[in-house]
Amino acid sequence: MGNNIQNTTFDAIVIGSGISGGWAAKEFCDKGLKTLVLERGRDVKHLKDYPTTNMNPWEFQHRGQLPYDLTKENPVISKCYAFKEDATHFFVKDKEHEYVQEKPFDWIRGYQVGGKSIMWARQTQRWSQYDFEGPARDGFAVDWPIRYNDIAPWYSYVEKFAGISGNKDGLDILPDGEFLPADELNCVENHFKDHVADKYNDRHVIYGRCAHLTQPTELHLQQGRGQCQKRNLCQRGCPFGGYFNSNSSTLPWAEKTGNLTLRPHSVVHSIIYDEAKGKATGVKVIDAETKEEIEFFAPVIFVNAAAYNTNLILLNSISKRFPQGLGNDSGLLGKYVAFHNYRAKVSAKFNGLSESTTDGRRPTGAYMPRFRNVKKQETDFLRGYAIGVYAGRGSYTDTSGVGSTLKESLLAEPNHGSWNISAGMMGETIPKITNTVSLDPVKKDEWGIPQLKISIEYDDNDEKMIKDFFAEMTTMFTEAGYTDIKTADSKQAPGLDIHEMGGVRMGNDPTTSLLNKWHQLHSCPNVFVTDGACMTSTSTQNPSLTYMAFTARAVDYAVDQLKKGELKA
Amino acid sequence: MNRRTAIRNCFFVTAGVALIPSCMQNNDGGKPSQVYNKIPITAKHELMMAELADTIIPGGETPGAKEVDAHLFSLVMVNDCFSPDEQQQFLKGMDEFEALCKQSFSKNFAALNETQRKSILEKVVTMSSDKNNAAVQFYQKSKGLILQGFTNSKYYMTKVRVYEMVPGRFHGCVPVKSVKA
Repeated sequence: MGNNIQNTTFDAIVIGSGISGGWAAKEFCDKGLKTLVLERGRDVKHLKDYPTTNMNPWEFQHRGQLPYDLTKENPVISKCYAFKEDATHFFVKDKEHEYVQEKPFDWIRGYQVGGKSIMWARQTQRWSQYDFEGPARDGFAVDWPIRYNDIAPWYSYVEKFAGISGNKDGLDILPDGEFLPADELNCVENHFKDHVADKYNDRHVIYGRCAHLTQPTELHLQQGRGQCQKRNLCQRGCPFGGYFNSNSSTLPWAEKTGNLTLRPHSVVHSIIYDEAKGKATGVKVIDAETKEEIEFFAPVIFVNAAAYNTNLILLNSISKRFPQGLGNDSGLLGKYVAFHNYRAKVSAKFNGLSESTTDGRRPTGAYMPRFRNVKKQETDFLRGYAIGVYAGRGSYTDTSGVGSTLKESLLAEPNHGSWNISAGMMGETIPKITNTVSLDPVKKDEWGIPQLKISIEYDDNDEKMIKDFFAEMTTMFTEAGYTDIKTADSKQAPGLDIHEMGGVRMGNDPTTSLLNKWHQLHSCPNVFVTDGACMTSTSTQNPSLTYMAFTARAVDYAVDQLKKGELKA
Repeated sequence: MNRRTAIRNCFFVTAGVALIPSCMQNNDGGKPSQVYNKIPITAKHELMMAELADTIIPGGETPGAKEVDAHLFSLVMVNDCFSPDEQQQFLKGMDEFEALCKQSFSKNFAALNETQRKSILEKVVTMSSDKNNAAVQFYQKSKGLILQGFTNSKYYMTKVRVYEMVPGRFHGCVPVKSVKA
């Protein structure tokens, strides 16, 4: 779509085209609203703009490795597990968009149509009642203004469209959804699952739920998507549309309605607040390429720029009415930001099941929902952690020799190694007023917008949680008969979890929160925030599914309000 | 190793040196077959790496490391993926490795016969307790890169251990005998 848009007035504006922006676009367009989607990066069309998607390993000059200069020039993004030779083009390079690390923070970003939905890890677990009740019960952050029952039907709604594979596990800590068939746990994951089930009533090992079309429905075929072929090359973009991203699903769907205008290269400077009308009227955009300043108008604006960029836009939206940023009467905008603690890992070996192995590939592994402090407080730290569990059996070849001996070894069938199993902690972090994002008073980006200053760190609760995870995991692996158990704390900075959240939190009280239960800014209700910025607390689940459900629910409400004349231009 | 190929390569390089001296600039080892923008690699170095690759994983009935250009891949990796320090260490080690050949047989590695080459590699292996020895480091790094280049080559991944781009299946527990590792 060209960027010479004649019309500057729309029924709705969506800032961002990632996982939540794509959903806002689809929902508005489906409901007949002329919708403008602003994306700061370039366009990425499904299939057409996945340049590496069908490349064989030997076609990569460095066989997947990154050149030294690239890693040296990009110390932050190079830490990301998915920033490899086949997907570097989907990640923001450090120098392209600088930010200020008051404390170390690895900010992983994808500036293009589809955002990080192209390279996300595709894990989609629902939140439960225990997650939404957490802050109120344990006395941190503020009470969520919604509960599981408010969002449950919207989880179902987005799951059916996105396509989520999983089993009905019947766990109240991790509610079931609208699932396509799940792939299998492997022998050792099942072995571990059985041991855990024998020993603990409150701990469960399940197959992780993920956004893969194991058996596409009519609704998925209508999107032009097909069955997941288990390539596990998702970060390149999928030629089958086998996993969910904005590019293959919500955006083309929105486009088909004829109601979508997608404008790439549109850096949002701020949201325009009209003092006389007492509401936001539009968005000020700077064209990323021409640096031209353009204004677009609509009665309702959804901010889905990805958590911290959403904070940045609101902080930079200064008016007489809102001198500290749009909707920031409480002074809490940019505060209580949080993330997930992904530092800790425990690995082990298993010498059993030596006659068995796996065949083929699958998009995820086993998952243990949170079992700490679920029904009541029972440890010396708040909340808890979920665990991703993966087992696998490698193969090895003796490469010690040279000449014909070595060659024979390389051409022969490899030997099966022992099974390995690893467990990664996904810890809830407690939002704090001292963890903040703010506008740097001096440094600006190429478009004259202040750089974001990030000041976030771990706390004592996180350290205690890691200790507990190490102890519990070691016990569980020992009980299951695994050996060579190793604990590892990567000490990675916050951010590398790529689950940044908060800063524009929801709540019932406008003096302690920014958004109401419908995701509207308390004091500027025609502006909605449904990406990670709205999160009051973080819980342990991979958050994208929740953003999708929040977005669909909020658009439904916004359109209803527009019809009732509550959100007039 | 395939002696005829080695001789042909030697001849080719020699001819190249004779024909295009103006392209050599500071290096007297001949113009390399590909561009190295960070390390002063010459055709002579390429030949040496090719023969090292051929000694480590020889050709014959089926392609060896040299036939799949594992030596060129190795040098690309040194040029692109090594840090400046690692590059210097690699080049120093390469020189020391060649010096070892000269010391033992008064010839470069590429000019040695198969028995002599093997004896050099054996010698380096016996020295491997000396972790700081540059020749040892060069040999170990090179062997790793040559193995990587060979096992990640199109030949190896389509004819030996076949890479499946689109498996379309996952079975979590099958007998070892039923699948290739």
